[in-house]
Amino acid sequence: MSAPLSPASLPSGPEVPGVPAQSSFRHRVALRAARVRALVRKELRQLFRDPKTKRVIFVSPVLQLILFGYAVNTDVRRVATWVVDHDQTPESRLILDAFTASDYFRIVGRGDDPSAVGRALDRGAARVGIWIPPGFARDAKAGRAPAVQILVDGTNSNTATVAQGYAQRIVNQVALEWASRGSGPGSAGAALTPGAAGIDVRARAWFNPSLESRVYNVPAVCGVIVLLMALLLTAMGVVREREMGTLDQLLVSPLSAGELMLGKTLPVAAIAMVQLALVTAVGLLWFDVPFRGSVAVLLVAAILFILAGLSVGLFISTVSNTQQEAFLSMFLFILPAIILSGFLYPVETMPDFFQTLTLANPLRHFLEVVRGVFLKGAGFSDMPFQFAVLVLMAVGGLAGATRRFRRVMG
Amino acid sequence: MAEPRPVVVEELTRRFGDFTAVDRVSFQVGRGEIFGFLGPNGAGKTTTIKMLTGLLEPTEGRGWVAGLDVHGQRREIRARIGYMSQRFSLYPDLTIRENIDLFGGLYGVAGTRLEARRRWILEMAELQGQEGSVTGTLPLGFKQRLALGTAIIHEPAILFLDEPTSGVDPVARRRFWDLIDGFSHRGVTVFVSTHYMEEAEYCHRLALMNRGRLIALDTPRRLREEEARIRGSDPSSAPPPSLEEVFISRVEREGGAVLG
Amino acid sequence: MISRTRLRAMARKEWIQLKRDPRSMILAFVLPLLLLVFFGYAITWDVEDLPLAVVDEDGTQVTRELTDVLQATGDFRIIHRPESRQVADQLLIRNSVRGVLVIPPGFTVRLQGGRAAEIQMLVDGSDANTATIALNTADAILGRFARNAVLQGRSANLPVRAEPRIWYNPTLESRNMIVPGLVAVIMSIIAAMLTALTIAREWERGTMEQLASTPVARVEVVLGKLLPYLLIGLFDVAVTVTAGMILFGTPLNGSVLELAVYTLLFLTGALGLGIFISAAVKSQVLATQIAMVATYLPAVLLSGFLFEITSMPAVLQGVTYLIPARYFITVTRGIFLKGVGVEVLWAQGLFMAAFAALGLGLATRVFRKELPS
Repeated sequence: MSAPLSPASLPSGPEVPGVPAQSSFRHRVALRAARVRALVRKELRQLFRDPKTKRVIFVSPVLQLILFGYAVNTDVRRVATWVVDHDQTPESRLILDAFTASDYFRIVGRGDDPSAVGRALDRGAARVGIWIPPGFARDAKAGRAPAVQILVDGTNSNTATVAQGYAQRIVNQVALEWASRGSGPGSAGAALTPGAAGIDVRARAWFNPSLESRVYNVPAVCGVIVLLMALLLTAMGVVREREMGTLDQLLVSPLSAGELMLGKTLPVAAIAMVQLALVTAVGLLWFDVPFRGSVAVLLVAAILFILAGLSVGLFISTVSNTQQEAFLSMFLFILPAIILSGFLYPVETMPDFFQTLTLANPLRHFLEVVRGVFLKGAGFSDMPFQFAVLVLMAVGGLAGATRRFRRVMG
Repeated sequence: MAEPRPVVVEELTRRFGDFTAVDRVSFQVGRGEIFGFLGPNGAGKTTTIKMLTGLLEPTEGRGWVAGLDVHGQRREIRARIGYMSQRFSLYPDLTIRENIDLFGGLYGVAGTRLEARRRWILEMAELQGQEGSVTGTLPLGFKQRLALGTAIIHEPAILFLDEPTSGVDPVARRRFWDLIDGFSHRGVTVFVSTHYMEEAEYCHRLALMNRGRLIALDTPRRLREEEARIRGSDPSSAPPPSLEEVFISRVEREGGAVLG
Repeated sequence: MISRTRLRAMARKEWIQLKRDPRSMILAFVLPLLLLVFFGYAITWDVEDLPLAVVDEDGTQVTRELTDVLQATGDFRIIHRPESRQVADQLLIRNSVRGVLVIPPGFTVRLQGGRAAEIQMLVDGSDANTATIALNTADAILGRFARNAVLQGRSANLPVRAEPRIWYNPTLESRNMIVPGLVAVIMSIIAAMLTALTIAREWERGTMEQLASTPVARVEVVLGKLLPYLLIGLFDVAVTVTAGMILFGTPLNGSVLELAVYTLLFLTGALGLGIFISAAVKSQVLATQIAMVATYLPAVLLSGFLFEITSMPAVLQGVTYLIPARYFITVTRGIFLKGVGVEVLWAQGLFMAAFAALGLGLATRVFRKELPS
């Protein structure tokens, strides 16, 4: 009967650390987890040791949000307006009073000379000119339906469109009032059916009753900022190590490409989530943006979106050798991504070709979800398409980025 | 089963586009040997080391490190070797302890073993009591020893050093080599590339590379003797040629430039 | 004393480096066109084909005509005719439509009886701008319809009316607003990125010390670096202007010469600033990022390029006076669309000349440690 082989009597070959000869599945998983944990800890330490980085991560998104939140504003209010009243009657003054009373126009100058209006527009001193021709009240009473001339500076097409619409509505309202009361200048000779006030359009704006563009833009700015930071941190994080030479040191360790990727992206994903929470809080508290939906829906969308963004960052890190290259690649990606997202300009007014392009843009889908959740209280069932695309992009993007990362780093 | 030779290379080749960085190089390294790699810049030393450490895939030829194939078993190789490059590759913004713990984590060194290794590394690098200092502020010589320590935190049997002492002052360099010598005595195989001739003297065997080719491979002493023979001088009277002279004339005979 | 030989050597070196660096070439020549195409084609606030749902609870010949008229204008596209308001609400939440028109029962009777007939227009206000334009448009269309329907062709009208006339950009196309502004934005990017890349590179590679050991003077270095980029900038402006005119039909009503002069002033200032930044931080990465934040972002956000300065809070409006792009955009729009010249834009010209002087001054000063005057 032979003596049982005790572990101590096993031949001790050369020590092979890291990879025990007989490693069980569970043991291998534990080792993997330990490696990823070590890397994650290192990433977080590096990020939070440097006060500059800390500022970039937590202060700059808030500052950006405040700057963008105020600057990105398409509301047309208090348009500089130059007035020439050549009629000087109670009726002409009534019209001008209606303009002054509205919040849309701000009278910056008056004059007798019609050419002064032209000069003011040329100089940019005024964006709108109102000219009431002589004999205006008389013509109105005679039923000749005189016109209030509205000159609009079209250089900013958006302001011009909106201002022109407001001006028309203001004049029409005054006219309708005169016509229906039968007391205005039109009552004497106007052939209008008595009291025929026409169609009274009762407008109601849903989700944003006061029609402030900020309510629409601020949630979107949050999305853009988070994408930017996620891209920056991922791409730069990898490329900086390559430039410093520390990447080689990581690559000769038993760390696999997949583990390296995890270790690099997990901290970024966590930071991105914190940033999102931070800017969202600022949006809600500072800009009074309403939040009507569920946090869970926003959270799911944010995770998917951040994963998609991380894949792009990883991809950039595999094609860039220097931080400079990475920065430029990011710029070339983010510029079209923002333009083609519906962030500032509605997607549905783009030409078909560009509308099709927007479908491949994760930012577009995320912005639709964010705006839906914030302003409309929309849930998963209201945005099945957007969520489907985001899931596809997160999964597909990560798979693609992992493959490429493996090939380049492995 | 006989223990495999630590490094075996046969006709190893690496091309980048049209440029052949390493051209059909063959050699073997024995256990406990300090194997030196000498050659001008661009001779292919770093590329060879990168292929052996799994950082680069060879274009052609075969190679085994610790009996593992450099083509298919790159990950397994990494677990058994230590690597330290000419570029200082610790994280300057982490503390000494954080750097040690990071590489401990990466190599699966944990618990009491990590504690023991940490103590050993700090002692070896003469940095006891400074675990909390940020690595970037250390003098270069200390950084170098710390980098060596973290590179061997998992006690590998084979150590690759790519110009480990560039920029370090002679005294620190001397102490670094004392450490290398100690490892070798304990059976660790050391594969080192260098510019410094006095360092080459410490190596058991030297491989001279030029333009991607291996042009000589022998002990320092035999290389010198052979040089003396070629020059036809009398070995008893004239002073023997220095390694530097060996190196320069070898490279010149090969038609290469001496840049290193 | 500036030596022509040394200046030429500097400029030539700069040009050769530029030519050999593919990324700089992309920045200099591809990016402007890319921006033009993206901004020019993709950005438009022109509201048309807005998807609309109509809930017709009246269901008469008149209401059918009304919806036909609405559809025919091209401003709206009626894509749903749901049975109930509840269904319409869902469409709005799901983003399927941007507005819902509800015609209540009795609409036709009231309209033909000469009473005010009410119509409800629900718009998705989340995009406030589109919503405002949609409301104004619907209001105008429905007003016209009402008069026609009630008056049955009689020539009479409301007692007074508004007669808007749009100057400078009569068709109110966003592109005419974008293209001139884009000239300023592109100049900002070119100036910031190229100089940040090339100057900081000299320090990173140590070639600046080499330059300092030659008899080259500060002014020569600065001018030698400026000249190639000035040429590229002018070339880019020419390309942008030509492409804008050909692709988008943007009119150039003013003088090309004046545009070139103003561009030169702006570029000199912006390039000088770029040199100053990259010389001050001496790192390519940092310099590009600072340059982007200092020039590109303000040029897009705070210059009036897309967003009205007058709509900003007072503090921010104050800040815009410090942004050179603000003045340059006033100039480009003035020259392109208004056809005005220095007689109107002299103040902007003065400011930009000061900016150019400041840029050159800063750029020259920043080398004072390294180089002789």
